[in-house]
Amino acid sequence: MELTDGDLLARVLVDGDQHAFGELVRRHQSPVRGLLRQLVRADVELADDLAQETFIRAYKHIRSFRGEAKFSTWLYRIAYNVFREHARKRRELVGIDEKQLQAEADPQTVDPGLRHDLMNALASLPLHERTAVTLCCQNGLSHDEAAHVLDIPLGTVKTNVLRGREKLKKMLAAWAT
Amino acid sequence: MNDPLDDLLDARLRDETPYIDDAGFTGRVMKQLPHRRVSWSSLRSFIILAATILSVVVAYFASGEGMFVHDAFARISGLQQLQLFLVIVGCGITMTIAGLWVALARRHETIF
Repeated sequence: MELTDGDLLARVLVDGDQHAFGELVRRHQSPVRGLLRQLVRADVELADDLAQETFIRAYKHIRSFRGEAKFSTWLYRIAYNVFREHARKRRELVGIDEKQLQAEADPQTVDPGLRHDLMNALASLPLHERTAVTLCCQNGLSHDEAAHVLDIPLGTVKTNVLRGREKLKKMLAAWAT
Repeated sequence: MNDPLDDLLDARLRDETPYIDDAGFTGRVMKQLPHRRVSWSSLRSFIILAATILSVVVAYFASGEGMFVHDAFARISGLQQLQLFLVIVGCGITMTIAGLWVALARRHETIF
């Protein structure tokens, strides 16, 4: 019988069992790395570095996991915080404008050829919309869970998902014609 | 009726979420984990073992270098065969119950 996340967490907490934590990493690495790849625009190496940092931070602070949310939701929240810290440092190093980081690429400036690819369309969304769409539409989180991960109001998540989807639909419609 | 573009978008978004192969990722994370600290359960076992050894040493010297053990064996050797059999069976049952109790308590600890 396969152990649940709760059983594995109990082993990590009670016995300090690193093998149990390894099993948790193996189970959750794909969605966490996928989310971070979306956030950093498919820079695979950077996304994996941030994912490693996510799991190491989760291990160090595992006693702060209260079981109020799913373990995967807790991991997404750590991943998002790791990404935000990275983005903040990057801004400090190269002096990227805050508005530029938020808005990132304007969909109008994207090469029309890239619109055929949904991943490129997704990557062209502003960060807050891209994150909300990735969590809710790709990773299957509810709006409530996404609000918990992103630490923003529920209404803001719904708005970001709706706006993101509208923009994607526009791009997809252009691709379909 | 659903907007066909909504359906198309949902389907594409789901399809665009492939499983990312581990490819050594978990191993790299495990190598970077901080060394595990001594857990309370390990510390508890160590304290019990140390206390037991200390108690045996104190009892040995306090009882005239273990004469009570010699006396106990002498008493046991004087027991009838049936009495000896009952003592052995009693000890076996007690040890089995204690072992089971510890095993069940440990299993209970690991479940939320």
